[in-house]
Amino acid sequence: MAGPAALLDRVLALASPYNSSLLLLIVFLVVTVVGLFVIRDLHTTNVEAQKMYAGSVQGLQRIGELQYEVQETRRSTFYALTTNDSNLQLEYADQSREADRLVNEGISEYLRQARMPHEIEVGRRLQLDWSGYLGVRNEVLASILEGSTKEAVNLDLKGGVPSFERVRQDLQEIKRLYDGQASQQLANVAATSRRTIFRLIGVLGITLALASASVWAIQRSKMLGAIQLAKLQMEFVASVSHELRTPLAVISSAADNIADGLVGGKDQLKSYGSAIQNQCRQITELVNQILLFASTKEGKNRYTLRPLQVSRIIDAVLDNTAELVQEIGFVIERRIESGLPCVMGDLSALSQCLQNLIVNAVKYSGESRWIGIHAFVHDSEERSSREIRITVQDRGMGIDRLEMPHIFEPFFRGAAVTAAQIHGTGLGLSLAKSIAEAMGATLSVVSELAVGSIFTLHLPIVEKQESEMASVTSKPDPSIRT
Amino acid sequence: MRRLAGLLFILVSAVFSIAALSLGFALNSSSLPEPQIASEQNLAVVVNLSNPVQNLSMPELRRIFLGERSHWPNGRRITLVMMEPGQPERAVVLRDICQMNETDFNNHFLHGVFTGEVLVSPKTLATPVGVRKFVFNVPGAIGYLRVSDLDPSVKAIRIDERGPEDKGYRLHVPPRSSK
Repeated sequence: MAGPAALLDRVLALASPYNSSLLLLIVFLVVTVVGLFVIRDLHTTNVEAQKMYAGSVQGLQRIGELQYEVQETRRSTFYALTTNDSNLQLEYADQSREADRLVNEGISEYLRQARMPHEIEVGRRLQLDWSGYLGVRNEVLASILEGSTKEAVNLDLKGGVPSFERVRQDLQEIKRLYDGQASQQLANVAATSRRTIFRLIGVLGITLALASASVWAIQRSKMLGAIQLAKLQMEFVASVSHELRTPLAVISSAADNIADGLVGGKDQLKSYGSAIQNQCRQITELVNQILLFASTKEGKNRYTLRPLQVSRIIDAVLDNTAELVQEIGFVIERRIESGLPCVMGDLSALSQCLQNLIVNAVKYSGESRWIGIHAFVHDSEERSSREIRITVQDRGMGIDRLEMPHIFEPFFRGAAVTAAQIHGTGLGLSLAKSIAEAMGATLSVVSELAVGSIFTLHLPIVEKQESEMASVTSKPDPSIRT
Repeated sequence: MRRLAGLLFILVSAVFSIAALSLGFALNSSSLPEPQIASEQNLAVVVNLSNPVQNLSMPELRRIFLGERSHWPNGRRITLVMMEPGQPERAVVLRDICQMNETDFNNHFLHGVFTGEVLVSPKTLATPVGVRKFVFNVPGAIGYLRVSDLDPSVKAIRIDERGPEDKGYRLHVPPRSSK
């Protein structure tokens, strides 16, 4: 169970810098998908409804009109029976013929639109039955106009009634067909609507689940971050306490010995004084580092940038670290290419940056006791111009590949370093990186376990006109207070 | 010199006279209708399109219009269609076919129906359109229409082998009085 949880935590840790964007992206994608589904389903429902209206409702309306005209044809014929006036009888005959013309048009229209074989079959039957009825109707009309009412009635009873009944049944069948189609299409519309609702519910459920998962992931990621920070801070406090306690113990012990009169002779006293001095310097160094880190994080520092000779920077760094290096018997190999152009920077800040790298090299060099510092011009990998590189190389324990992405994080200390009980706060490299970036430079590292490490400071070369500038004040950015 | 001028004048006058005469003839023959020909129209005797009869002699026609014949050769009953009294078409039929006046015609039918000698009583319609529609609707109907009132819904029969458009056709009707 620990495996998947750990994997999830690693994924969350990786995603944690992007959590807001990730959430927005997820919500956007889900809303887009929901929107597309809803639009598509609404469109389908709309099309189905239109088809239903066009195909069935209008069809039913046409059949209704057809039924009316069929009745009108027969009705007008009978009206002619009600009078002996030939002129009036002719008017009724005209009405009957006009109605039958409309019926014929209606049947033709129906046949034109009929698609199913059964529809076509019924339409043709209707056409045939209607022609049959019209034949009888013409005879009836002729008899009425001739004045043979009895004959007209007999003709209608014998031929008109059955043929008209056949027409009526055909029309009923067509109506039933349209009704069936309308019911089918209505069922389709209802099914589409139901599907739309289910989809909406489903997709909204997924949206809710995703949003909940995102919120949970963000919260967990934040919590993990907070735990990690708290852990680092605890380690930092423990480390600082340890760093402070050792020199304090030395100072306290020396002071006790002096106070108790155990120290005799001038040379011994001098030795005690020197020890107290060294321990005080270590405490001061430590406090300075912490203050520097705090000021960097608060973003209060301003730099005085000016063109600097590379040799001057390196000399300043070597001067500052000479005492430390000599004490522990280290050899520093200094190589500076001749004719290097100037770089733009703050001397004090750049010295601090390189000093941190040298102190690091001293700490982790182990038995080799060798440090190389090298300055040269090289093509920039990030810019199209050339740059000056200052490398600090050691032949020490090297850095684990898995720890490489974290070594510039504040308070980070490698597992091997902690195991070897090498003192430190985990701030040196973080500070060096912040300073480099504030100068417009970058800091990179190449390392191999048990072989050593090379830290490289990449500094942009100063243009000619800029090199003539006396000093420039940089923008307020995290860096060192001068 | 005076003689030459006189000859020239006569020549020019002759040319103008001939031109004027030619123009006058042309106008007469092309645009001006002959008043007597244009005023009269032929009267067609019409039957239903389904009626196989194409031609009738004047005596046969007279028998039909006097109700002395009741059926067509195809067995259909004959229905006589007349226009209302006072219409010029009716007057022509009475005069040229029945050879009777209005009173004699009415008496003939009254008497014939009473005695059973006449089997057909005429239908009276007010307008030529009514006549045309009646003949169109009734397969055994026979009526009459001016040639200008004819249309394809009815059939005009020949009388004594002469159609209404033929020369020598015997039924002519005076023009309608414009109201």
